[in-house]
Amino acid sequence: MSELAVEVKNLTKVFHIGLGKDYVVAIDNLSFEVKAGEVYGLIGPNGSGKSTTMKVVLGLMAASKGYAKVFGLDSGDIRARNEIGFLPENPYFYKHLSGAETLRFYGKLCGMKGAELKARIAELLKLVDLEGAADRRLGGYSKGMLQRIGLAQSLIQNPRLVILDEPTAGVDPLGSRQIRDLILKLRDGGYTVFLCSHLLEQVQEVCDRVGIIFRGRMRREGTLNELIAVDDQTTMTLEGASPELLDEIRKLVHSKEGSRIVAEGHPRTSLEQLFIQITDHHQEDAP
Amino acid sequence: MNTDIDLPPESSPVAPRAAGRAVRLFSLSRVWTIATSTVTQLVRMKTFYFLLAFALIVVAVGNLNIPATPVQELSMIKKVSFGAMDLFGWLFAIVATALLIPRDLEDRTLYTILSKPVRRIEYLLGKLCGVLLVVGTSLLAMFVLCSIMIYSRESIFAYAEMDSMARSGSYTEHEVLEQLALIHQQGLRPELAIAVLASFFKASVVAAVTMFLSTFASSSLFTIIVSILLFLIGHAHTMASNFWLDESGNSIFIQMLVKVIKILIPNYQLFSFSEGIVQGQAVIGSLVWQMGGLTAGYLAVFLLLSLLVFVDKEF
Repeated sequence: MSELAVEVKNLTKVFHIGLGKDYVVAIDNLSFEVKAGEVYGLIGPNGSGKSTTMKVVLGLMAASKGYAKVFGLDSGDIRARNEIGFLPENPYFYKHLSGAETLRFYGKLCGMKGAELKARIAELLKLVDLEGAADRRLGGYSKGMLQRIGLAQSLIQNPRLVILDEPTAGVDPLGSRQIRDLILKLRDGGYTVFLCSHLLEQVQEVCDRVGIIFRGRMRREGTLNELIAVDDQTTMTLEGASPELLDEIRKLVHSKEGSRIVAEGHPRTSLEQLFIQITDHHQEDAP
Repeated sequence: MNTDIDLPPESSPVAPRAAGRAVRLFSLSRVWTIATSTVTQLVRMKTFYFLLAFALIVVAVGNLNIPATPVQELSMIKKVSFGAMDLFGWLFAIVATALLIPRDLEDRTLYTILSKPVRRIEYLLGKLCGVLLVVGTSLLAMFVLCSIMIYSRESIFAYAEMDSMARSGSYTEHEVLEQLALIHQQGLRPELAIAVLASFFKASVVAAVTMFLSTFASSSLFTIIVSILLFLIGHAHTMASNFWLDESGNSIFIQMLVKVIKILIPNYQLFSFSEGIVQGQAVIGSLVWQMGGLTAGYLAVFLLLSLLVFVDKEF
């Protein structure tokens, strides 16, 4: 049985409103597990309890009932936080620090120093493609650059678990693609990634398993194949098929009882892929 | 037919990462990292510009042409300069402290700091140490500036006095030396450093109280206003005691209220012993140690109170 990176069991979080008896149940008896080495996506609409769940896992909030554990340690334990790298939604770091200074600050908080820290900073700046902006203050960074330096700071102490809250919120398609590629790199590097998002396409592209949360409760959970495959339908993409061949296929399908063609058309590229193709093309043309 | 469902590439058979390094339950190195970052933050917020305002005050006071004896003039320069230094010290302590924690919370910088292996007490201690480092450095810079001004005026006055007494020819050497001693008594003396230390003690307590307020206050503005209010009340301790506690006609309720306020709000009047030093009074060594101990006590109490509020705070 593989090790559990995150274990959330019967987690309930209640927020009391003012001093009265009114309260809001943000998370209601939520249970799920994230295995070590996998990319897990928690999806749900705004206000469904994703960020609250994440904050409990990070130890920024206490559970009203139930518990959250990180690699077997209580999420409030300081040792658990050494295993976590966290990228918040819209990361705001100290604007007066440069990219390299930001990584140095967070590295020192994790007990790193000297040559080890220096080498790690250089490695991460290269990973997130910000070597050229290392000495620039964060106040002058674009949204995408902030997101990438945020990802780098989350990895500074080489944590086992990386928690990403809406990692591509407000980032353009090119930046979004870069972050997606980085997440896949992390998985290939053996990191466990726990991702919260309401951007379904993004989750679909990178996650091994997905949990769907709504009004604080887990509604569905499983691998992408389990969740989205339609078992009694088959997709076949043909290249260079003549109209005659297509006609024959249609006739054959009609001749078999119980089978029918549900949809037919030309495969389309996504607008995102088209955008990236065009920008890549023009980047190559640029002098 | 829709064929573009992008499933993630198959997981590569990479072993999950090994556990990280051991974490100390409390680390002075983390406190120091937060403190130095706070210093950088305050420096880059250009807070040291207030030193420029102080320099202008000192230069203006030093060059005022007032009809007074050299001794009176030196005394006035010292009173105004050290008064301004004290004011800048505690005011800076309030504003700097009130800006830090609420800003970290508003900017969500606190999320990323506390999601690292950082204890909340380390964060609070680091922030307080950072503010105290900046306040201490500022007071030192202001003291150097004051010293230069006082020393230069003292030298000018001493030379002019000696010259005028020698020219008149009606003074004995003893009288000249006596007059010079009076000028030097109001000039730059090592005891003045103790007056700066007293201002630092006061600013430290003010910073600790402000930090406590900022752990539960909703905004920086609220924290600044309440801190200033508490500072003013803290200066009225003796007056309030004399008036309300010693007057037998006051109700038990008022007497209890005054007693509670006396316990909760630091007595800032105790730190005003610097005024006597500036005016040329002798420094009592034991008093300085007592004040140092009292400052440490206030810092410990307000740090503990801040932690009690902050430790269970949810973000």
